Amino acid sequence: MSSVAPRPFTRTFGLRLATWYATLFVLGSVAIVVLTYALTAASLQQRDQQVIREKLGEYAAAYERGGIDGLADTVRAEQRTAPERLFVRVLDQGAETIVLSQPEGWDPATLELASLRTADGTLVQVGKSSESRDDLLARFRAALGLVTLSIVVIALGGGLLATRSALAPIRALIAAVGRIVDTGRIDARVPLAGTGDALDELTALFNAMQDKIEGLVTAMRGALDNVSHDLRTPLTRLRGTAELALAAQPDAERYREALAECVEESDHVLVMLNTLMDISEAESGAMQLRLAPVALGDVVARAVDLYRDVADAKGVALEVKPGGGVIVDADRTRLEQVAANLIDNAVKYTPAGGRVDVGVRAEDGRAILTVADTGAGIPADELPRIWDRLFRGDTSRTERGLGLGLSLVKAVVEAHGGTVEVQSEPGKGTELTVTLAAG
Amino acid sequence: MRALVVEDDRTIADFVGRGLREAGFAVDQAADGESGLASALHQAYDVAIVDVMLPRRDGLGVIDELRRRGVATPVLILSARRSVDDRVKGLQAGGDDYLTKPFAFAELLARVQALVRRASRAPEPTTLSLDDVELDLLSRRVTRGGTVVELRPREFALLEYLMRNAGKVVSKTMILSHVFEYSFDPQTNVVDVLVSRLREKIDRPFDRKLLHTVRGVGYVLRGA
Repeated sequence: MSSVAPRPFTRTFGLRLATWYATLFVLGSVAIVVLTYALTAASLQQRDQQVIREKLGEYAAAYERGGIDGLADTVRAEQRTAPERLFVRVLDQGAETIVLSQPEGWDPATLELASLRTADGTLVQVGKSSESRDDLLARFRAALGLVTLSIVVIALGGGLLATRSALAPIRALIAAVGRIVDTGRIDARVPLAGTGDALDELTALFNAMQDKIEGLVTAMRGALDNVSHDLRTPLTRLRGTAELALAAQPDAERYREALAECVEESDHVLVMLNTLMDISEAESGAMQLRLAPVALGDVVARAVDLYRDVADAKGVALEVKPGGGVIVDADRTRLEQVAANLIDNAVKYTPAGGRVDVGVRAEDGRAILTVADTGAGIPADELPRIWDRLFRGDTSRTERGLGLGLSLVKAVVEAHGGTVEVQSEPGKGTELTVTLAAG
Repeated sequence: MRALVVEDDRTIADFVGRGLREAGFAVDQAADGESGLASALHQAYDVAIVDVMLPRRDGLGVIDELRRRGVATPVLILSARRSVDDRVKGLQAGGDDYLTKPFAFAELLARVQALVRRASRAPEPTTLSLDDVELDLLSRRVTRGGTVVELRPREFALLEYLMRNAGKVVSKTMILSHVFEYSFDPQTNVVDVLVSRLREKIDRPFDRKLLHTVRGVGYVLRGA
């Protein structure tokens, strides 16, 4: 048996699930990070632009108030004291630089620039170094990179962990089922997680299947044990008879006797085997019943007819009160067997001069068959045991029989969904009642 | 009459073969499906007895092939399985009758002869006679040595069955299924009781006894 085969499946399945989970998570996170960065960068740039514009407005006003010189003075005075120096340039109509102020270590590449043309055509330019902003953004990028990296790690790790824990019940189920398959132990069950989810349902179903298999196997084993046990006695008799004849002096008549006994004994074994098989099949639910509407009265009349001569020969009055029109849904042959066994039993254990009454009636949608005799009755302590295989009461040991008749009756009736009951009073008689659903 | 026995168990094949020879059949035997099929195809048999479980080709396969090739030899199927389904399967495959192991040879012989009779369509007699017993199937009247013997219906049925199989042993199971039409074994021997009743009427008042018990096997009606 291969218990290895299913395990790689969960491994790849878990990995696949984790990968999917991580990919989706990372993609979402990266989108958020990129958006955050873009918004931050844009808002920083906007702020710079605003500073420049304000300055431009101030300088334009200064120019209007004091002309070029006023503007130059304002610029110089301001730039000397300002915490952050700006780049300022004023150009006249001929594009000649009139005023120029620029911070030290100036890098024209990192310049945020805006310009304004006054009414007389003078151009005022104000620029701001974006170096600090770039610096900030660079640090922000680094931070975001770190965040992204940790997100990826968390996503992968978390995904693996999550799928691992999600798949744990499946893995447990597979392991448990695998163990059961490997060891062939049908009494093993998979413990329920108690979560009430689909996996629990699957586990419960598996356990239910296991119950069914166990029931069947146990019934079959039981049947096999019983059969092998029950056949030992007649086989011992068979063997003993043959052995005795062989060990004795050669004698044709004696051989003939022994052979006849052997044939009878082997017939006995066969009947027993068939009956035991019938009982086991009926008890385990393996008996194939050909259900059809059957008139219970007809079946009973036929069985009574079968035993009429036997009862007459024994001096037992066999009376029948068949209720016409009582229909049951049953396997006709099996039902005949039930009726015949019940009557057989009653006639067998009723002494000469006694009577056996067979009755059929319908009552509350049920069909009832009763077989009452005036035999010796069954002691109360033996009553529950009359259904056991091969049980024969002390009083009945002298009668010829298998001790299987009532077991078969019970098994077959129950296979039909009916019940058998017994009432008995020692010294007065026994009444057996079969109840079936009326069809 | 020629019979073919296809059975791989030597002991069973031998006792069936010997029994059939004693009953007047010329018997050929085959121990596996292929050789059984070959024999059945190349020679004309009046009846074939075929086991279901055979090496090389199973019994149902043999019958199937025979029927496919238009060979109509009546076939009695032997099987160790007793379920109704197997019986139905066997008959569907083209078998004519079915017998479950273990079986009484008497029953096998009776079935084989019934198959041969059915195939040859011998006209049904209206009276049966054995020794000085006359049985009229139409008026259902029985006489022995000219004396009318009153029989009840079931006793008549038993006598008819025994007379049809005169000289051959019939088992209790055969009587049960043919006379009582029951297919299971009642525990008390109802057959014994019926036989002794019949014996009471047909034998007891007369000197010559016709109805004999063969212990362990069954009963036989034999003329003097």
